[in-house]
Amino acid sequence: MTTLELNNVTKIFGGVRAVDRISLGFEQGKVTALIGPNGAGKTTVFNLINGFIRPDEGAITFKGKNLVGLKPWEIAQLGIGRLFQDVRLFQRLKVVDNVMAAFNRYNREGVLFSLIMPWKVAVQERKLRERALALLEFVGLAGDAEKLADNLSYGQQKLLAIVRLLANDSNVLLLDEPTAGVNPLMLKSILEVIRKLGREGKTVVVIEHNLNVIIEVADWVYFMSNGQITSFGLPQDVLGDPEVRRTYIGI
Amino acid sequence: MNYVFHIMVMINIYALLALSLNLLVGYTGLLSLSHAAFYGIGAYVSTLLMMKLGFGFIPSLLAAIVASVLLSFVISIPSLRLKGDYFVLASLGFQVIVFSVLYNWVDVTRGPYGIPGIPQPEVLGVTVSSIFTYFVFIGVIALLCGGMLYLIGNSPFGRILKSIREDEIAAAALGKNITGLKVKAFAIAAGFAAVPGVLFAGYMQYIDPTSFTLMESVFILSIIIIGGTGNITGPLTGTVLMILLPEGLRFLGMPDAIAANMRQVIYGLLIIVIMRYLPQGISGEYRFE
Repeated sequence: MTTLELNNVTKIFGGVRAVDRISLGFEQGKVTALIGPNGAGKTTVFNLINGFIRPDEGAITFKGKNLVGLKPWEIAQLGIGRLFQDVRLFQRLKVVDNVMAAFNRYNREGVLFSLIMPWKVAVQERKLRERALALLEFVGLAGDAEKLADNLSYGQQKLLAIVRLLANDSNVLLLDEPTAGVNPLMLKSILEVIRKLGREGKTVVVIEHNLNVIIEVADWVYFMSNGQITSFGLPQDVLGDPEVRRTYIGI
Repeated sequence: MNYVFHIMVMINIYALLALSLNLLVGYTGLLSLSHAAFYGIGAYVSTLLMMKLGFGFIPSLLAAIVASVLLSFVISIPSLRLKGDYFVLASLGFQVIVFSVLYNWVDVTRGPYGIPGIPQPEVLGVTVSSIFTYFVFIGVIALLCGGMLYLIGNSPFGRILKSIREDEIAAAALGKNITGLKVKAFAIAAGFAAVPGVLFAGYMQYIDPTSFTLMESVFILSIIIIGGTGNITGPLTGTVLMILLPEGLRFLGMPDAIAANMRQVIYGLLIIVIMRYLPQGISGEYRFE
């Protein structure tokens, strides 16, 4: 079932059509890859979905609800999460606090609540902490829970950003280059997480340059070039497209 | 002994100012130059209510907090949508406006003449009058408010504020209403800044606008820059140091005219040295950049 849809969306930056009348559909329970050369407009598509920028034309809908004009946090609260290309951790918070900060949709975090019932806050915090540690355990970061996020290696930071996204429990996950800059072992665990999310019924969208990754995890591929979708289909078909091979893969 | 109690009272008052400003600067990452304005709003609103309308101490304290919170929206709602620097400028503007109002609205505030004869606080039928009772009274209120600020800082709410400080875009992508949360943080800080204003007026029994100038805002900011921000120990360290420092100079036997200037020079030097060698302050957690 298609949950997230872009219909004839255009975004112009100073005369350049960064995104040019594109229509995309993302299905629940599937991993869709968005590939294409640098500057093709892939990250702009994510920014449009997240509400960080507004389309000049076209419609973006999630489960039939119009997203255009909503604020980024409202879109996030509808269950659309984002992994940023540049990670964007809360650098000077502890690793475990990075995860705990993401549990928001299920918790009471009001000021009055913490003033009037500090003991209930303490109980809630203990539970959140356990859940955060369990998630960190899953990617092998539990031992670093008390470190500042700043002190992790780049690969670990990427994993932490993924864990933070999991804690946020979104139904749609927009992953912008989740495997760039991580070592082969971590790559394996990241791929595992992505596949698992698809199986769990999430709508997963990946921007990726690693062709092996695309073949391994993607159920469907959109190829984007100069702001337009020029090819789409099953991974092997798109990667076999002579135009894609010539302009992107270089064969 | 009275001298020691007086110093302790001043430390309590400034500790509350520093701790409440810390919620903005250290937790939320918002630099504000209007803290003395809210301090002054607290002092003037409570004093006028007590002297003109015959309010009791506690009702006037509560009214001062409410007034301060409401006035905080005047800056926060229009300027927090805009980013960092605009907010600093808006807070500067607000500080200047509040001072001008206190200084020039002579019919109500008596302007530069100040308001003498402010009644001593009376709570539960007991009038606070000796320096020792002031020390206990102000200490208890400071402890209560400080405790509340501590709870807020360490609550899930405090953690969200810190996440905003670290990365607004990432926080928004996790579903946090950044503008709404900043407006709230600013209102809380303003509400808590009114309390030391009320205490100061009740303690001095005289107020005039010169206690609530831009320089005062800068002084409160320098307390937390020097002491450190983002936790509770930084602002407390800064307060004790910055209140005791000029007292120490007094014991050096410097003539008053020179000591006053020396104080400014020392504060300035301290800020420069701290920013260079200890960017998170003496015992803070958050590093200015």
